[in-house]
Amino acid sequence: MSRISRKWRRTIFSWLVLSPLIVLVLFPFAVMFITAIKPATEVLRPTWWPSEVRLQNFVTMWEATGFGQALWNSVYVAVLSTAIALVVSIPAAYAMSRYRFAGRGFLQQFLLVSQMLSPIVLVIGLFRLVVWLGLIDNINSIVFVYAAFNIAFSVWMLQSYFSTIPKDLEEAAWIEGASPWKALVKVFLPLAVPAMVVTSIFAFINAWNEFVIALTMLRSQATYTLPIQIFSLVAGRYTVEWHHVMAAAFVATIPIAIVFAWLQRYLVRGLALGAVK
Amino acid sequence: MTRSPLTNPYLLVMPGFLLAAFIILWPLYQLGQISLSDVNRFGQLRGFAGFENFAAVFADPDFIGSLGRTAIWTFGIVIGTILVSLPVALVLNENFYGRGIARVIIMLPWAVSLTMTAIVWRWALSGESGMLNSALRGLGVIDANIQWLAQAATAFPVQIMIGILVSVPFTVTIFLGGLSSIPDDLYEAAKLEGANGWDIFRRITLPLVRPFINIAVVMNTIYVFNSFPIIWVTTQGGPANSTDILVTYLYKLGFRLGQLGEASALSIMMFVLLLGFTILYVRLAMRSTRS
Repeated sequence: MSRISRKWRRTIFSWLVLSPLIVLVLFPFAVMFITAIKPATEVLRPTWWPSEVRLQNFVTMWEATGFGQALWNSVYVAVLSTAIALVVSIPAAYAMSRYRFAGRGFLQQFLLVSQMLSPIVLVIGLFRLVVWLGLIDNINSIVFVYAAFNIAFSVWMLQSYFSTIPKDLEEAAWIEGASPWKALVKVFLPLAVPAMVVTSIFAFINAWNEFVIALTMLRSQATYTLPIQIFSLVAGRYTVEWHHVMAAAFVATIPIAIVFAWLQRYLVRGLALGAVK
Repeated sequence: MTRSPLTNPYLLVMPGFLLAAFIILWPLYQLGQISLSDVNRFGQLRGFAGFENFAAVFADPDFIGSLGRTAIWTFGIVIGTILVSLPVALVLNENFYGRGIARVIIMLPWAVSLTMTAIVWRWALSGESGMLNSALRGLGVIDANIQWLAQAATAFPVQIMIGILVSVPFTVTIFLGGLSSIPDDLYEAAKLEGANGWDIFRRITLPLVRPFINIAVVMNTIYVFNSFPIIWVTTQGGPANSTDILVTYLYKLGFRLGQLGEASALSIMMFVLLLGFTILYVRLAMRSTRS
């Protein structure tokens, strides 16, 4: 009995301590959702609650904000850049976790440093690179840049997970006469699938959320990704249709947020493993 | 046995590293070249200029202002984040009803792109119809609407507050990892010795979590120093460059004012600074691994 009541006391105390932060965290979500369901005429009125719930906003938003095109661009960029990053990162991570070779330490340091580098510091050089490649206002330019910037992170994550898969399993397969290729496909890859899935989801989210590079390289609405498209509806305009903007932000954000909230502990585990290995 | 390409680590590592190195080294080489050249606004190099571009950056009062604000921005957010995250992590490390939900809520800002967060805040902070003003008026905290983003005196602190809010989830996660590595019997032994909660925190928890605090400080410093969307989306460094930090100043210099030489010089300086932070991080991470 006293144990239970102690837990209840701790529960009340914990929620009290957390409540200011929780209010601040939930506030923008509340603003986003409530504005998104307000009738257009009430958006600029400083009241909290709408007189009626307008779910049609989510439908009219689609046309008004050019959501479909931007969504397609975002999906295209995120999927393709993730795929490219993974295709080159998986062999690299495999080598880093399985072999001791000259230069391995250097490569590891290089990975760490490039993971810390934000594209913003290189943005002028990157812009010249993209101009030189003739890819300005071409969505493939950011596919290429995102893929390259995701490699350090992907190798780091994959390597830390690969190292937890015991090498004995592959060696046992070799002893039984399997070729290295066969051992890889039959023994190693099935065990590595979860790591690849988690890594690719994070690479996807990175690409999905990126702002500066897309802002710099993309010049016309036809190529805008979601963050840039929604930002363009807000920046430098006299009239902003906030209910549409918030509905678009809501739809662009919530699916990713759910996946992320669900997976973030794997990210932390991977980063922590990587730091130790 | 035939030699398989799978057994050659260099072959396996090559494509990834070439691509990653190319995307960093080529732009870096370009930046170095431009920063030492006389360059027009279309990016044509017109000869060697020595360190003129670097000198021009230092002579620009906007640079000095941005530099100072970057220091306030970075220290404010990093210290604020640690101060908020430590108690939150301590609470979340205890077992209480609804802990799972509390964790998910605290982690939410991490899951949303900074751009979207900043767009929502820009709207919430709007002077006439923003929902922050209406909430505060409803609660009786303020009488008249505050034009939050129209002057630096309110805009910059609010931007720092948003920065803290989005940095807390990552930091709490690092601290939770640190707290879970402390063995329970240490606490039990301390309780048997008659130590109170504060003693336990000061003598056991804090020393053992300190390496994690160090890592959180360095990593947050790097992230916050580089953070662009919050300020760009809410005020674009305005009004009159009064909320610019180095990254937004750099962006304006390069893409609005066309001062490519100065912008490249500034990039190089920021790159060197970041490299310093990173080396510090590698040192700290290695030290905590060894101990």
